[in-house]
Amino acid sequence: MVIPKVTRGGSHRIAAPRRARVLAAAHDGRPSTVDDRTVDAVRESWLVEDRWWNGSPIRRRYWEVVTTCGRDVVVFHDLRDGGWFLQR
Amino acid sequence: MPYVELHAHSAFSFLDGASLPDEQVASAVELGYDALALTDHDNLCGAMEHAQAAKALGLRALHGAELTLDDGRHLTLLVEDERGWRNLCRLVTRAHAHTRGDTPAERAGGQPGAGRGPAPGARPGGRTRIASQPHIPLAAVLDHAEGLVCLSGCAIRGVHDEASLKALRSAFTPANLRVELQRPYLRDDRARNRGLAAVARRLELRTVATGNVHAHTRARAPLQDTLVAVRLHATLDASEPERRGNFSHVLASPQAMAARFAADHPDAVAETVRVADRLRFDLCEHHGYRYPGEEDAHADRTLAEVSRVRLHERYADAGAALRSAAEARLEEELRIIAKLRLAGFFLLHRDMLELAREVALEVRGPDTARALLPPGRGRGSSVSSIVCYLTGLSHVDPIANDLFLGRFLNDELTALPDIDLDFPRDVRAALIPRIHERYGHDRSALVAAFPTYRARGAIRELGKALGLPPGEIERVARGSEGWSARDVAHDVAAALGPERLATGRWAWLARLAEQAHGLPRHLSQHPGGMIVATRPLIDCCPIVPAAMEGRQMVQWDKDSCADAGFLKIDLLGLGMLSAVERAVEDIARLRGERIDLSRIPYDDAPTYKAIQNAETTGVFQIESRAQMSSLLRTRPETLQDITIQVAIVRPGPIQGGAVNPYIERRQRLRVDPDFEIPYEHPSLVEPLRETLGTIIFQDQVIEVAMAFAGFSAGEAEGLRRAMSRKRSEAAIEAHHRKFIAGAVATHGVEPELAERIFDKVRGFSGFGFPKAHGAAFGLLAYQSTWLRVHYAPEFLCALLNEQPMGFYPPDALVHDAQRRGIAVLAPDVNASEVECSVESVGDGRVGSGSARVRIGLGYVRGVQARDAQALVEARRAGGPFRDLGDLAARAGAGRPALELLAWAGACDALSDPAHPRRIALWRLGAAVPARRLPGGHTQLALGLELPGAPELRELGAWEGMLADYETTGLTAAAHPLALLRAGLARAAVTSRDLATIGHGAQVRVGGLVVARQRPGTASGVVFMLLEDEHGTINLIVPPKLYERSRLTIRTAPLVLAVGRLERHPAAGGGINVLVERIEPLETADASRAEVREIAPAGDFRAVAPAVMSFGQGRR
Repeated sequence: MVIPKVTRGGSHRIAAPRRARVLAAAHDGRPSTVDDRTVDAVRESWLVEDRWWNGSPIRRRYWEVVTTCGRDVVVFHDLRDGGWFLQR
Repeated sequence: MPYVELHAHSAFSFLDGASLPDEQVASAVELGYDALALTDHDNLCGAMEHAQAAKALGLRALHGAELTLDDGRHLTLLVEDERGWRNLCRLVTRAHAHTRGDTPAERAGGQPGAGRGPAPGARPGGRTRIASQPHIPLAAVLDHAEGLVCLSGCAIRGVHDEASLKALRSAFTPANLRVELQRPYLRDDRARNRGLAAVARRLELRTVATGNVHAHTRARAPLQDTLVAVRLHATLDASEPERRGNFSHVLASPQAMAARFAADHPDAVAETVRVADRLRFDLCEHHGYRYPGEEDAHADRTLAEVSRVRLHERYADAGAALRSAAEARLEEELRIIAKLRLAGFFLLHRDMLELAREVALEVRGPDTARALLPPGRGRGSSVSSIVCYLTGLSHVDPIANDLFLGRFLNDELTALPDIDLDFPRDVRAALIPRIHERYGHDRSALVAAFPTYRARGAIRELGKALGLPPGEIERVARGSEGWSARDVAHDVAAALGPERLATGRWAWLARLAEQAHGLPRHLSQHPGGMIVATRPLIDCCPIVPAAMEGRQMVQWDKDSCADAGFLKIDLLGLGMLSAVERAVEDIARLRGERIDLSRIPYDDAPTYKAIQNAETTGVFQIESRAQMSSLLRTRPETLQDITIQVAIVRPGPIQGGAVNPYIERRQRLRVDPDFEIPYEHPSLVEPLRETLGTIIFQDQVIEVAMAFAGFSAGEAEGLRRAMSRKRSEAAIEAHHRKFIAGAVATHGVEPELAERIFDKVRGFSGFGFPKAHGAAFGLLAYQSTWLRVHYAPEFLCALLNEQPMGFYPPDALVHDAQRRGIAVLAPDVNASEVECSVESVGDGRVGSGSARVRIGLGYVRGVQARDAQALVEARRAGGPFRDLGDLAARAGAGRPALELLAWAGACDALSDPAHPRRIALWRLGAAVPARRLPGGHTQLALGLELPGAPELRELGAWEGMLADYETTGLTAAAHPLALLRAGLARAAVTSRDLATIGHGAQVRVGGLVVARQRPGTASGVVFMLLEDEHGTINLIVPPKLYERSRLTIRTAPLVLAVGRLERHPAAGGGINVLVERIEPLETADASRAEVREIAPAGDFRAVAPAVMSFGQGRR
């Protein structure tokens, strides 16, 4: 799995993403639970559409959320195959 | 409407925008926008296109630019009113003022051969300057705030610190300053926008949302990514940090944009509409441009007086009929000119020509033979005007030549007419800065041009960005058709096989190239269009320095300038005029004959004989392969015929089906003078009489529409325009219906006949010359042929010195001259001048057969002009060089120059006669030449005895020829085919043999490729012109063979072809070989040529002369 750099100007080398169980709102894709933990707030949300020129293009909507138990997690929704992944 | 886009880039942001303004406008209309801004980086190049496209579709165009500050930050400026437009033009002008500041030291020589890049004999253009990036100090922006609305700039590079925003607030006032919020879907968006909103609150400023658009549709987003990589000279993989990372920069609907900001900043969305409401500037309105003389109340009278006086002089000796025809024509023109209020326009042109006369006198010197010549000549439709003729703007008598006026001037003219003037290159180069001086540096500028992506550039640049292998990119690019970037898929398939296109990067290359087709790539200069105005042009459009020192240009191309109502004067440089002047000058110097080209005999039998036999290599216009084969069939006998001849080999007459009927009828008439020309309708006899019932000139489209379909002059000109330029099917269809109805109403003809005539008109489509242009060019074609026939050495010499020009490379010109018995001599340090020169033999007078042309030292590639100059001066001062040591000591040229000269054979006479070139090279390499000191002095070296050379291997004839081509681009010694002849298959015949071989016989021919052409009008057939040691050979390559042997045909400099000989009676003696098989003539094979070793000069391919290749000029 290729790990994209997710922000401009710097790279985040993070462990490989793993599948997550996410429930999300239908109209805007906002997650409401991540791995059974309820989402309290959305800190940021961003979009990566890249690598379209090679064999494995990337289209992901990222969400950085805080769960009710106070954890900050980043999940992304793969817009190509529809799966959800936990980035850290 | 919830949202207006206030921040959008088009492709005019040059490699940072993937859509044209009209694509953007069309998308915006579709998405439901009422207004759209265009804010390109640091320029207003696309503003007029944006305004025109928006007007056509009922969208309100907002104008602005995103300026780059000195520290690299960006500010978005939007135009509120006319003052704001002026201020923005000034700011953009200022931002570019420094962009041509630095000059590369090595390019400053400006003489033939200067620098490494240009081809041998390339002319100096003056100093060219390398562009740097535009930027502007914040203080300048603060000084030009009036009439502008300022947004704080984009998310990444905007002006976000409080101190700067405070400065902006005091200059722009809170009413005209907004803090710009964007949502590019990056990780820190919300935090950044919260921070910006907080700053805005503290400074009591409002926020406004923008989209920073870079593409009009999602499909273009990958192209935008790729263009960014191209701009950074990087690959897509490597440019990731600089790219946007997603496709949120695509123009989104107002609703979608409102939704992006709805949660956090709904006010900023509503604010876009309020800001847009403030912006009331409309670029389509007239903004005060006037050309000098436009408002002169006495202009009509002045022009009439000037013209009438000249008419009396010009027609003093003419017959009464001609004279009264001229008088009637003049009064008619003066009436139309007065009605259209264009007298000032003509007087301005006359004024400019008077200036050109002064400049020409300075450039040419008062006592030269050239001084007899007018400073320039008209071209194009203006040559049909007697006012132009009388005011000196044209040199062809429109009455005597029966030239039709309507295409140039008519009662219904809505735009300014075009006057194009041709000048010798040196006169033009001096004239342009003088015009800036005369009319004011702030009131005159050249017109811009925007080169767009073509196939080859797209393959190389986009291919590199995609990270494709460089070797394969180059193979695809070399084999490419070269014109349309839309066909890159075909190019890839042809070079690498269709399977490459199935997926992946090659498929992307084809897709991206197709999208990039037609997008402006950078800002460049129009060949000669000049704008002059009565008030500072920077109030109308930004002005930027051009590449050439002392020149500046507006940021609009000719279409935008025309839309703005700017008066454009075309001052074109014409190489043949320069060559002709040079020849006249040389003839006067060498033979003591002063030639006035306007008074040479126009019925000279030897000249017509040469034209009829297609012995026209090197002359103006009628020298190309296609022209030559046509000449053999048409056999022109008068200037009138030549006027038709220059116009006939054009897409218009060819596609309109005029060429073959014209030629056949001409051939019939030659045999049978009573042959009756078939006209399809009596009303066509008058307009089409001189072209034997066919449409060859543009003006005939107009005349036919008037005579046959009853159009007025203005309607007919409208038809012609609709069919040329950007052709709109809808507009042509409207004219079509009117044409048929008009013909039926006027003459009661059957609709079928009317349709048939209209088909011919449509086929012509305007891609042809007006007759006036044909007459002007035909005259120069005759004059140059006359010089070629009677003053061959001087003419050849002038052509060599004025390169690049014409159809043939210098090498082919030299070989043609040698076949006609003119001796051409290699450069020689003891005989050559800096430029090529004519050497007289015997009594010092040049006569036929006793003159030789000597290649100049400056012709040697890489020898700097100052080195050649110094050497020639040293020889004049101290006599011929005695030996190589003397040369090294006195020449004042550096060692690199001396070595190049030695390798070119210019030192052979001073060297060992057995094998001079290598020994000269070796010994000069050991010499310590004189050194140039600061201040222009030369420190001479001691005239030491040079060491003898060690045993060096002899330079073979083939290697010597390679060295000739490498150093001078030509060889005056044996033709490459003469050297290869022995090694060719026994069955191969020469160009000379073809004359005695029968039609239909199979032949095998080899030759040096002189031209490759694949005219769009020939349905895929490729024409090649080969040259061997005896002459030229025409090859015709069928499309299927071309597809099979594309790389050979496109790139091999020497080929061997097998095919059938064709000699048709109608071809007038022309012979073709219809090729069945073609292969490169391998030169590295020692069995074919007497080659011992290819090094050091390398393979022939590397040194082959640049030839006319597939419509891309010589390359």
